[in-house]
Amino acid sequence: MRRLIRYDENEMNRILSSEDEILPSSGFAVSVMDAVRREAAAPPPIPFPWKRALPGLVVAGVAMVLVLVAGIVAITQLGRTSTSAHFPTFLSLPSLMPINFHGGMESAASWTVLALLVTFVSVKLSMRLASGRV
Amino acid sequence: MSASDDQADVERVLAGDISAFEGIVRRWQGPLINLAYRFCRDRGRAEEMTQEAFLRAYRGLGQWRKDAVFSTWLFALATNLYRSELRRIPARSVSVSLDDIAEPADARASDGGLEDQDRDLAVRRAVLALPAKYREALILFYFHDMDVATAARSLGLPEGTVKARLFRGREILRGKLTQRLAVPRLKEA
Repeated sequence: MRRLIRYDENEMNRILSSEDEILPSSGFAVSVMDAVRREAAAPPPIPFPWKRALPGLVVAGVAMVLVLVAGIVAITQLGRTSTSAHFPTFLSLPSLMPINFHGGMESAASWTVLALLVTFVSVKLSMRLASGRV
Repeated sequence: MSASDDQADVERVLAGDISAFEGIVRRWQGPLINLAYRFCRDRGRAEEMTQEAFLRAYRGLGQWRKDAVFSTWLFALATNLYRSELRRIPARSVSVSLDDIAEPADARASDGGLEDQDRDLAVRRAVLALPAKYREALILFYFHDMDVATAARSLGLPEGTVKARLFRGREILRGKLTQRLAVPRLKEA
């Protein structure tokens, strides 16, 4: 005779309700309180200096928008000149770009030096801000 | 365990008396460790998770809105932590697949059936092998003495969702256990 074991609702409830209780270790509460005291004694996290960073963030945002706009304008102008001319003008730089870009290696180097200088100054400034010396 | 004791201790802690938190720890360490143990079946890990739950409770005491009982808030916080911890690093016993459960220790025991102990163990292992959402609903439901509303509050889910998950979880369990545990008897028949 075939008999299947059927777990009815009550049987499953009985098994799953009758879990053995475990007791906390003897030093558990003490170790939790030690951790809580360490937490309380730790200095609060340093808040981000929004006041000091805000001018820089605004300038960076404005500069980014300007660069984007200039880029879009330059690309549109490039498209217009390339469709009207017979020679491949896309190889030449658009007239809208600063005059320095039209120079040779010397002007490229000066832009690179300027970029490096700006990076160096911003890194030094942020380090000083983080250490609270400003 | 009195709700007013919890409230008094919380107010003392918020006023700067850290030692008052010990009262909360001593009152709730047992239930929180047992809940963690049901999730992971590892005593050491259960204590670690419970300690982290108490630390989080300490950090967030100010966020407890007194419209809910303190224990409800504490259990919801602990449950949330246990669930995310076990999703991050699953318990070893949970990694057992549903197809591997309910292997009888001795298939011939007690007139072709399983001993009660083996059967209970098989059911508990089957619960741990369920998909997380059904497992969590079942664990909380039985931990809170089969109270759907309390389980739902601990899980932060609507009661209807918890009921649906309980129903589906039980269905999967019933199917798997009947199939697996029936094998020895079918062989004898």
